[in-house]
Amino acid sequence: MKVVYNWLKDFVDLTATPQDLASRLALSGTNIAGVENGPHGAVIDAEVSSNRPDCLGHYGVAREVGAIYKLPLRHVAPKPAESSAKASDAVKVEIQSSELCGRFTARVIRNVKIQPSPKWLKDRLEASGVASISNVVDISNYVMLELGHPLHTFDYDKVRDHKIIVRRAKPADAAGKAAPEKMRTLDGIERTFDSNICMISDGDGSRPIGIGGIMGGAETEISFSTKNVLIECAWFEPVAIRRAARFLKLHTEASTRFGRGADPEMAELASRRAAELILQLAGGELLSGVVDIYPGKRAPKKIRVTRAEILRVMGADVPDKQVEASLSALGFAPVRIDQNRGAEGSLLAAWECTQPSWRAEVEREIDLIEEIARIYGLDKFPPRLPAARQGAARLPHYEAETRLRERLIGLGYREILTIPHVAEERDALFRPNGVSPARLSNPLSEEANVLRSTGIVTIAGALEWNLNHGQRNVRLFEIGRHYRLNGSESIETRVLTIGATGEAREKGLYDAACDFSFADLKGDLDSLGELVGGFHWQQDGLSWLNPARAATIAVLENLNFPVGYAGQLARRVAEKLKLRQNVFLAELELDPVYAAMRTAKEARRYEPLPKFPSVERDFSLLLADGTKFSDVTKTIQSLGIQEISAVEATDLFRGKSVPAGKYSLLVRVTFQSREATLTEAQIGDYSGKIIYALEKNLGAQRRAS
Amino acid sequence: MPTSDIGLDKTLADLGVTQPEQVALRFAKIRVHFQEHFQTVHDESEWKSFRDRWLGRKSGVLTQITDNWLKPATPQLKRAVGASLNELRAHVESQIEARRAAIESGAEESALARERVDLSLPGFIRPTGSHHLIRQVFQEIEDIFFSIGFSVVEGPEIETPYYNFEALNIPEFHPVRDDMDTFYLELPTGAKTPLLLRTHTSPMQIRTMEKQKPPVRVIVPGKVYRRDNPDATHSFAFHQIEGLAVDSDITFCDFTGTIEYFVKEFFGPSVKTRFRPSYFPFTEPSVEFDVSCPFCGGTGTAAGGGTCSKCKGAAWIELFGAGMVDPAVYGFVNYDAKRVSGFAFGIGIDRLAMLKYGIDDIQVFFQNDVRFLRQFP
Ligand SMILES: [Zn+2]
Repeated sequence: MKVVYNWLKDFVDLTATPQDLASRLALSGTNIAGVENGPHGAVIDAEVSSNRPDCLGHYGVAREVGAIYKLPLRHVAPKPAESSAKASDAVKVEIQSSELCGRFTARVIRNVKIQPSPKWLKDRLEASGVASISNVVDISNYVMLELGHPLHTFDYDKVRDHKIIVRRAKPADAAGKAAPEKMRTLDGIERTFDSNICMISDGDGSRPIGIGGIMGGAETEISFSTKNVLIECAWFEPVAIRRAARFLKLHTEASTRFGRGADPEMAELASRRAAELILQLAGGELLSGVVDIYPGKRAPKKIRVTRAEILRVMGADVPDKQVEASLSALGFAPVRIDQNRGAEGSLLAAWECTQPSWRAEVEREIDLIEEIARIYGLDKFPPRLPAARQGAARLPHYEAETRLRERLIGLGYREILTIPHVAEERDALFRPNGVSPARLSNPLSEEANVLRSTGIVTIAGALEWNLNHGQRNVRLFEIGRHYRLNGSESIETRVLTIGATGEAREKGLYDAACDFSFADLKGDLDSLGELVGGFHWQQDGLSWLNPARAATIAVLENLNFPVGYAGQLARRVAEKLKLRQNVFLAELELDPVYAAMRTAKEARRYEPLPKFPSVERDFSLLLADGTKFSDVTKTIQSLGIQEISAVEATDLFRGKSVPAGKYSLLVRVTFQSREATLTEAQIGDYSGKIIYALEKNLGAQRRAS
Repeated sequence: MPTSDIGLDKTLADLGVTQPEQVALRFAKIRVHFQEHFQTVHDESEWKSFRDRWLGRKSGVLTQITDNWLKPATPQLKRAVGASLNELRAHVESQIEARRAAIESGAEESALARERVDLSLPGFIRPTGSHHLIRQVFQEIEDIFFSIGFSVVEGPEIETPYYNFEALNIPEFHPVRDDMDTFYLELPTGAKTPLLLRTHTSPMQIRTMEKQKPPVRVIVPGKVYRRDNPDATHSFAFHQIEGLAVDSDITFCDFTGTIEYFVKEFFGPSVKTRFRPSYFPFTEPSVEFDVSCPFCGGTGTAAGGGTCSKCKGAAWIELFGAGMVDPAVYGFVNYDAKRVSGFAFGIGIDRLAMLKYGIDDIQVFFQNDVRFLRQFP
C-alpha cells in the first residue's frame, strides 16, 4: 500500500516529517519498505500485514497516525444532494447467497458526463501507482484507496431489468450436459467458475455481470458513452474470497481487501462518498436513498481487558491514561468497569471495549493487549532473562554425532549440506530395490522432483560440482537424512554419507602423490568403527558399486542387518554422471551406529599395561589367491596360544619372484605374556606351531625372507 | 719439531743445565715451541692429537719433562724445574681448553648453517577436513541457548498440514499461507492426510507441547522448505532454529531479554536491538526483531561515505520474527492459556550466516565447492 503523505492530511493535522512518520509507523506495527519523494510529495511504501485490512486505505492509516501522535481523526461524512426520485424504484437487489455476500448496497446516478479526471485526482492516483481511466472509474479507485473499501460501477443501462441477483456460480451438472458458468471479466479474459464463487448477475439472474468482490464483467463496464451509473458497494465473506481468488488465480486490489476482511459498515459510507465525488466531477442527479441489503449485520462484540492480564503477558505495566488513549484512538471505546474505577493504576483495573467494525480480527483480550503495547511502544517493556527451572539437554545423539564428525574432519573430510530435491532418474541409480521414493506432487522442476532416497545421490552431485570446477581431490561427508515412503507414511532416516575422489595425498615437498583407494576408504571407516567396537565387513555387490570393491558394513549387535555399505562407484554409473575419475562412496545408517557407540562406550574398561616386554616374529608366506588374511588370523588364533597379542599383515605383493596363482604375505605376530618375559625357547615353540598350522590348514609355504 | 730437538729425551744434566737460569731458558724454548704448534690446531682431530702430544699420560711433553727433567734433577735445580713445570702445565691446559671451546662452537655454527630449517617452507600438511559453515552457526546458536537452559530437540521435515499450519492457528485459506508456498508429496490414493515439506521449524512447537507439560524450553534446529525459485537470496531449502519457552510466568520482558542476550552473544555486546510489532498467526503480540547494522555500526553510512549497502541506509537489519505464543495455539495442545504463557521465535540460519560472514549468495551453502568449504575450517 502506497501511503501518500499529503492525503493523510485530509484526516489528521499531521506535522511530523514523512521520515519521522515512517519510523513511528514501523515501530507501531506497519512494516515500511521505503519512503520516496516524488512529484506529488512523499509516498511511504507500507507493507500492511494481512491482519490489518483497515490500513489498506488512507483513512485507516490516518487512524493509526492519530493514535501514534495523539491527533484527533476527522471523520468522513459525505452529504451528496439527492433528487426526489428514489433509488429503490430504479434498482432491485436480491442476495441469494448471504453466506458469501453479507451486504450489498446500490446507488444510482443519472445523466453523468464521463470524461477525464481533474488533475488533483489524477495526481493522487498516480502517486498511488494507479492509472487514470475516466472520472467515474477513477472515483471508484480513489474511494477504495481513501476508505479501504472496494466498490464497482456499472453502466446502469446495461444491467438487464435494472435488477441485481447475488448468487453462487452455476456448477456443471453431474450428467455433463451443462458446462460450468463462464464470464468475460474486465481484463478481457473468459473465466470459468465453481459453485463456491459468488457471482453478481442481472435480470432473471441468468447472466453474470461480475465476480463478487474480485472483478466486474466486461459487458456492463463503464464507457465514455455511459449516461447512468449504478454504484455497487458490498461486503463479501473473506475466506470465500481468498478461496475464489486462489481458484481463479486472480488477485486484485478488491480481492486483497475483501479477502483480508473489509469493514461491512463502511459499504454504505464508501458508496455515499463515491456518489458525492461523481456529482462533483461528472455531474448528474443522485437518486435518493440507497438500496441496502444487509443480511450479515452483526452486533458489535464486547471485549474485556484487565491490568492483571496486561501484567501477566507483558511483564510490565502500562499507565491507565495510555491504555485508554490508545484504545480510544483506535476505535475500541474503552470503559472502566471495575469497582476501583476512580483509582489510577489499580491492579483490579478492567476495561470493557467495543470491537469496531473495521477490526474483525480483534476478538480477545490478548488482541487488545497487543494494541495497547504496540501504541505504547515495545521498548518500554524492560528486557530481562528468565530464570531456568530445569537442566537443559542436548539431542540424545549429540555426543555420538560430534565424535563422528570430529573424527571425520581429522581424517581429512569436509562436511557438506545438500538440498534433498533431486531428479527421479538420478535417485533411481542408487535406490535399493523395493524402496518407494518420496516424490513431490508440485516440484519446481523435473531436476528436483523427488526427495533423495539415499545420501549417495546428492554427495555424488557435490563431487561432480567440484570436478566440474577444477577441484580434483575431494573428500566429503554429510550427516543428513534420506527420505522414503512406506505406503502413505514418510520415513526419514539419519545417515552419514561419505564421498571421495582424486588423490588421498597430493604431491608435496616431502611426499609423493597417492591416489585415494579402497584401502583409504576402508581405513577411514574402520577408524570410525573403533568408536563402535569395530565394523564387520562383508563382500557384497550393490548394483551401482564395482563388484570387486564393494562391501556391506555391520556392527556387532546385529551382524545380519548391515548398517551401511562402501565401495568404488561402478564405471557404468560413473560415466552416466560424467565422473571421469575413480569415486569412492559409503553410507551408514546412524541410529544403529549411535546405539553401538553408546554400548561400546558403556562396555569400555581399563586394561592394565603389560609389565613384560613383547616380542615380534615375522612370517613370510606364499598363499594361494583366494586365501584371505582372515583365514590366516583364524588359523593362528585357533591354536589357542594365550601369549599372542596381535597378528598383523605388514606386506603383500604379487608378481616378480611370486609364482602365478599365489601371493606373498608378510605376517607379523606379537607375543606378550602377562606373567613373565618370554624365552627364546617359548617363542620358537609357538612359531613352530604357527608354521605347522598354516602349512597344514592353508597350504602356506614359507618364503626365505 | 721432534721432542729430541728441545732435549726432552735427555736429563738436564745431559743437557749441561746446572743453573736455575738455564732451567728458565729451557722452559721458555718449550713455550715458544708450544705456541708454534698451537697455531696449527684448527679442528677437532688436530686438537685431539695436539692434546695427546702435550698432555698424554704416557708420552706427552709434560710427562716427559716430569720423567726426564724433574725426577732426575739435582736437589738445587729441583725447585726451579718444579715451579717452571707447574707454570707450563697451567698455560698448556688453559690454552688447550680454550681452543677446544673455540673449535666446538665453530663446528656448531657451521652445522647450524647447514641444518637450519627454512621457516618459509611449509611443514608436512596432512589433509584436514572442515565443518560446514551452516553447521558451525547452528552449533554457536545452540550453545548460546543451551547455556540459558534451552534443550535441543529435532523433528520430521516431512510434516502434515495439521502440524505445519492448522495447530499453529493457520487454517486453510489463511492469507499467511500465500507467503509460505509449500511442497507436497505425491501419495497413494486413500492416504489419511496429505504430507508436505515443513515450511518452518514451528511444527515442533506443537509436537513438543503435545508430549511435555510446562515448563518447556526448547530450540529446534533443522532444514525447512519453501517453494521459491532459487536466486542469490532464495533457496527452496534453508535452515532455521525454532525456539519455544512456556512456563507459568514467562512475559514479554523475558522474551525480549532472552532475544537480546542471544544477539549480544552472537554479534557482540555493542550491537543495538529493537522490536517492531508485526503479525504472525501463532504469536501475539508478534514482533519483527532488528539489530543495528553490524557493517556500518548502525549509522546507515558506509565506511568510505555513501549509503551502507548491507542495510541500504536503514541502519537496522531485520533478523527474524518472534512473539508471545498465541493463546489459540495452547488450545491445540491442551495447555491452559489462562495459566501459562510463553514465547517463540524462528531464526533463519542461512541469512544470519550470510550477514555475519559477508556472503552474498545463499547458493554457495549448497554447492559445497571445496574452495568455499576451505574458507571456514
Ligand atoms: Zn549498514
